[in-house]
Amino acid sequence: MTGSYATAITVIALMLAVWTLVLVAMNRSPGLSLLAAGGVLEALLVGFLIGGIVQMVGSDHHFARAEFVGYLLACLAIPPMAVVWAREEKSRSGTLVIALAFLLTPVMVLRVQQVWAGPLV
Amino acid sequence: MSDTIRTAGPAPTGEGFGRILVAVYGLFALAATARSGVQIATKLDEAPLAYLLSAFAGIVYIVATVSLARGGVTSRRLATMAISIELVGVLGVGAASTLFPDAFPHATVWTGFGSGYGFVPLVLPFVGLWWLRHTR
Repeated sequence: MTGSYATAITVIALMLAVWTLVLVAMNRSPGLSLLAAGGVLEALLVGFLIGGIVQMVGSDHHFARAEFVGYLLACLAIPPMAVVWAREEKSRSGTLVIALAFLLTPVMVLRVQQVWAGPLV
Repeated sequence: MSDTIRTAGPAPTGEGFGRILVAVYGLFALAATARSGVQIATKLDEAPLAYLLSAFAGIVYIVATVSLARGGVTSRRLATMAISIELVGVLGVGAASTLFPDAFPHATVWTGFGSGYGFVPLVLPFVGLWWLRHTR
């Protein structure tokens, strides 16, 4: 589970996190442009899930497969869940929830890669 | 729901700062339950105590998340209970795993006072109880 694709996801998620944190600092609600950019990230995460499962099926090396798929699904599920939960909030706390979700994406990607690499020590 | 006029009773626990708190609780609910679910399904015989403890922690986090999100008198009581259990759990398991590391070879959320999760599990119950007091 490698390389440039995962790095692209990480970079985009961090950029979105910075963008959202700026909105928090300015006390502004996330607009359509942020949601659209979040949609791009989600599309990449769908590709990450499919690519991950295809690689997993085609590989015979030993690693925690259920955990691997679990983290891939978590990558995909966390940003939309944050958006849904933040939607009803009127204060900037809601925006911060979305920022936290974007900050979490690189951590989840890292966990996917760690699980792929082998059992934890 | 948002149209209701709140004349009396406690403030909502799932709005404002509570929105963030519930999100963090929800994350731990997801992490602990999903993780223990996988572990119990695939290797329960390896470390039944640790994995069942993770599952228990997961349930505590789920109850705390849902009751904080709902607010209201009964939910607040339930949240206070769940978060108190969480506090005892993280302190107890944290202390036990520090004093007797051999007894805890398999990590749970609460092992080492939550050191595997940036000590967030240790801080969270204090913040949760503070928030319940603050919104009373």
